[in-house]
Amino acid sequence: MMAVSCLTRALRSLTVSQPALLSAQAVTQTKLGTVVPCTGGQCRGFLTTASLDQNRTRWKQTEKYTIKPIGMKKTGGRDHSGKIRTHGIGGGHKQKYRMIDFQRLHYESDREPKPFEEKVVEVRYDPCRSADIALVAGGNRKRWIIATENMQTGDIIKTSGVIGRMAVSANEGDAYPLGALPVGTLVNNLEIQPGKGSEYIRAAGTSGVLLRKVNGTAIVQLPSKQQVQVLETCVVTVGRVSNIDHNKRIIGKAGRNRWLGIRPSSGLWQRKGGWAGRKIKPLPPMKNYVNLPSISNNTT
Amino acid sequence: IWRRPSSTLSDRRHFAVSRCLTAKAPPARRPRERVEIPGFEMVTYGERMHYVPGLAKPVYPQWERDYKDPRHYKTPPAHQMPLYKEKPCYVYNQRTSALEGVRQALWLTKAKLISGLPPRLLSLAESPANQIPDQDERVQNAIKHARFWDTTEDRPCKEKYSNTLLSNLLHLCATLQSRHPAIGRRILAEKYSLATTWKRGEDLFQVRGQNGLLYNCMDPLPEVSGKQEVGDTADHVLKSFYPVSPSIDLQKVHVYKEEVNCSGFREGYPYPHAHTLYFQEEGDINCKLRPKQFRAKMVMFAFGNALARAHSLYGTQPQSVLGRPITVQAVGTNGRLFQFLVFQLNTTDLSGDNGIKNQVWLDEDVELYDYAKLRPLIKKKQVKVPAGLAGYKPETFRKFLALYLHGAV
Repeated sequence: MMAVSCLTRALRSLTVSQPALLSAQAVTQTKLGTVVPCTGGQCRGFLTTASLDQNRTRWKQTEKYTIKPIGMKKTGGRDHSGKIRTHGIGGGHKQKYRMIDFQRLHYESDREPKPFEEKVVEVRYDPCRSADIALVAGGNRKRWIIATENMQTGDIIKTSGVIGRMAVSANEGDAYPLGALPVGTLVNNLEIQPGKGSEYIRAAGTSGVLLRKVNGTAIVQLPSKQQVQVLETCVVTVGRVSNIDHNKRIIGKAGRNRWLGIRPSSGLWQRKGGWAGRKIKPLPPMKNYVNLPSISNNTT
Repeated sequence: IWRRPSSTLSDRRHFAVSRCLTAKAPPARRPRERVEIPGFEMVTYGERMHYVPGLAKPVYPQWERDYKDPRHYKTPPAHQMPLYKEKPCYVYNQRTSALEGVRQALWLTKAKLISGLPPRLLSLAESPANQIPDQDERVQNAIKHARFWDTTEDRPCKEKYSNTLLSNLLHLCATLQSRHPAIGRRILAEKYSLATTWKRGEDLFQVRGQNGLLYNCMDPLPEVSGKQEVGDTADHVLKSFYPVSPSIDLQKVHVYKEEVNCSGFREGYPYPHAHTLYFQEEGDINCKLRPKQFRAKMVMFAFGNALARAHSLYGTQPQSVLGRPITVQAVGTNGRLFQFLVFQLNTTDLSGDNGIKNQVWLDEDVELYDYAKLRPLIKKKQVKVPAGLAGYKPETFRKFLALYLHGAV
């Protein structure tokens, strides 16, 4: 209905005898993409395709946090130009996105920045990731977090940002800064920069190991045996991520893969290059995410 | 943390005249940042009335209409509203689904829970003098009408049948008016808005909303428990549910009227005392409450009605013991299961956790009948559940009738 009115409006503009430049106002109002009649009668065309507004990513651009699941738009591996950028993605069961709060040490707006406790209300399956998610409630707010291995409904989990002199004997599911944990604990949901939110060790059944603590930093071994050095104020949760048998599952049939949104790979036989085959290499050097001030010779 | 919405492509102007029109649109450029340097004035092309490359885009003040047009009215932000207050108020409305359910409602209303109906009501239910002639048969007919006969389609939807069932049961109870003339001094009311305020700890709480069917009476309900029991509640300790705060899931507002107390009716209404509230689970389509949350809603609104009455009788100052406790009943149903509630307001002094508490008698999940199926349930060629009404329990309607007759007998 709206498309028809836009079309008639565009067609009406083209019946003008003198080719006139449409005002930019009218151009922006017509939703038919670029409708610009040119001077001199050179090219007079208009698009009848739908709006070129890329509103595919607007569903994830809300600013307010909510625990209600949000309807998601699937991309099918296509980027903004419409071409496939990643093969093998498409179809699958419809999924709703639940906003996960990866910043575990997220103080509520009204309360003081002190260690706090939260109660686990529900642990449930999340279609968007391999791990399970838990709805926790504390104070006046509820939020979704990644659940750890033995999290049950009714558990109380503690989040703290304080680093004491003695290492804390942490229970599974609690979140502490790396400097407060004893060396050798299994950790997950690691954040690289303090306060940014966790970006590492979030998949089902994974866990990192805290190897050593060196003056203001801590060294953690990621599940890929890569070691990273981060500031000791970065908050991590203790324990393994939930759903530990995720890697032992058997897909069973091609249809189950299709339900997961994985399209079949191309059947064309392609000669494998230097990337294929088993490689035995030494571990890459330890990645340092601590921005140490450079020691310059000009300090007075 | 969440990305800001980017400008839409349609906002951009396409001034190029000789390029191909069918290519994909160029990616949206981020709008140029406007930098304000104090002490310097921006040279804009506003005076020249046309775009000049190199000069800044003029920024004009927001145009305000000088007359008031009700079709184009923008509400001012919260802190500019005349009723804005620094201290927030937590509002329990008819769509609130309290996380902790009845425990949260009990803490908010400073009440002690006793499961089961009070003995006086139970004895009212059992006595044969208060029965309707052909009671069982008439109630079963009422259920069959609600569940089977009320529609031209196969089966009526839950909202419809719970509504019809409730009105049928109320009609049956009202037929006892010839025997108990006090029933004539009551009236039903729907879609009335309740509002009460009270202080609990340091926070202000309010109950507001249109809750359900209200059964009003000219005379107040008699108190259910004696002075001795009321005094004993002072030893009861309210259950806390740390770390969840009691105001979770309540709507936090900064714009509210203080001390708002409205029972839904004006002064001089002939039926001022709330007798029973009838709640239906499917009352609000947008709000689906689980059983615990539904019971919490019943407790909160029964308390709200009692508190509104207490404020109008004894004033808004908190009183540690009411001379005459106010009783309000509530019945909630989903068409098959009934929840019976009796709330007795003993005190309006709700700021502290000590002292005399209010009392709540709650009878949960009482079935009126087991199955009302259109087609029989057959497993392995044997009829497990026959078609039609099955498993009717007469005690439930007797309790319903007792709650109805309470005060009139």
